[in-house]
Amino acid sequence: MSHLVPKELKYTKDHEWVNTEGEIAQIGITDFAQSALGDIVFAELPEVGSEVMAGKAFGVVESVKSVSDLYAPLSGQVVETNGEVETDPKKISEAPYKAWMIKVKIKDPAEIQNLLDSSAYESYCEKA
Amino acid sequence: MELQRVPLHENHCQLNAKMGPFAGFHLPLQYKSALAEVVAVRKRAGLFDVSHMGEIFIKGQDASRFVDYLITNDFVSLPVGRALYSPICNEEGYLLDDLIAYKLSSTLALLCINAANRKKDRDWIERYGDKFQVVIEDASDSLCLLALQGPLSLKFLPSGFQEIEGMGSYEVREVMWENEKIIVATTGYTGERGIEIFSYPRVARHLWGILTGRGVEPSGLVARDILRLEATYPLYGNELTEETTPLDAGLSWTVKIQKKDFLGKEALKKTSPRFRLLKLSLAKGIPRPGHPILNAQGEEIGQVTSGTHSPTLERGIALARVERSKEKKADGNLFVGIRGKAYKAKIHQKPFIHQP
Repeated sequence: MSHLVPKELKYTKDHEWVNTEGEIAQIGITDFAQSALGDIVFAELPEVGSEVMAGKAFGVVESVKSVSDLYAPLSGQVVETNGEVETDPKKISEAPYKAWMIKVKIKDPAEIQNLLDSSAYESYCEKA
Repeated sequence: MELQRVPLHENHCQLNAKMGPFAGFHLPLQYKSALAEVVAVRKRAGLFDVSHMGEIFIKGQDASRFVDYLITNDFVSLPVGRALYSPICNEEGYLLDDLIAYKLSSTLALLCINAANRKKDRDWIERYGDKFQVVIEDASDSLCLLALQGPLSLKFLPSGFQEIEGMGSYEVREVMWENEKIIVATTGYTGERGIEIFSYPRVARHLWGILTGRGVEPSGLVARDILRLEATYPLYGNELTEETTPLDAGLSWTVKIQKKDFLGKEALKKTSPRFRLLKLSLAKGIPRPGHPILNAQGEEIGQVTSGTHSPTLERGIALARVERSKEKKADGNLFVGIRGKAYKAKIHQKPFIHQP
């Protein structure tokens, strides 16, 4: 089954997407991730002002059947969280690329080099 | 170990079901959306292929007496054409399994058992069968079981099922349909009205096609687990284990201690329950099996045995096993520990949903 992988975004092997604008990175989970999880019914995001570290868990999403950690693609301080996905988590299943979760002030721009581009992510998903 | 396929495997694949392992079988977990399947069963009708369940027939003049001896509930007094839910205990009073026992005639009973316990149950039943005039037949590999569940279930049935309409809950009939004898029962595991149909694969495939073609929602194991939890039915392996007695799991109503003799009776007469099974809901957070139940001081007094998000209540719900000796002190103030945070739990006295 094919999934949406927008060209303009960057990705991680943990199935998060990243949209960078200047020093701010917007982060969410991919269509592949939401489809694998099934109906998402709960999301727990970090506090604004807290620090996230690349590769470390920053929050949780739960489907009816499973609990999954969210992993930060980049390190930095959380400057904004999307309260909408906490109050209405099904938005993540319905429109994963609109339902961003956190915005992070990027600490080390060099980390962006470690992210996958859309074609690399697409082929990674095909093998999964 | 290679997973066993159910006879309707191809039907599930055609519907793009998400398949997964359960009790040694490769089974449909969900089709399009487990949440939509739950809603369909609560409001209209859903169809489950639960052919992994085990079916054991007990035949012979002692059939009723033997089943009565095996289970804690009262099978001897049950009229022909009725079914009942019961634990099956070992001699120490611990739970070997839970089942539905159907009285098809005075000399024929059907036990519907959990797939994961099939071998254990069969060995157990055969071990005690010697003392009775019975023949034990395990039909699990040849029979399919479809569960049509939901308030509008009967409207979707094809002709030939007219007999069903007059049946109350927990009744059973042998019915001829398309020149084949099938067993139809008004039982289920969802808390909704509906029927369960035991048949050979040919009839099961045909009925699956007819019912899904008429708009019954094909529904998987994830939805079934949510539905049974909303109805607060225990699940073997979660609430029920070989370390718990029926009295520990809120099933004292199924233990007929005044019955003449049954396996586990002496032990159950003497034991007082160690645990209580609580029904909990949370305003925020989703309880999961293994999460601790805490008192106001933060001391652990029990654990969640089953938990999920309930689409019907739109909140997290759980069954939790708490130690009776520690429960009193908590004085009704209970919390579920989820990832290091304590969430206040509401204790429900009744099932989360209406019963049919």
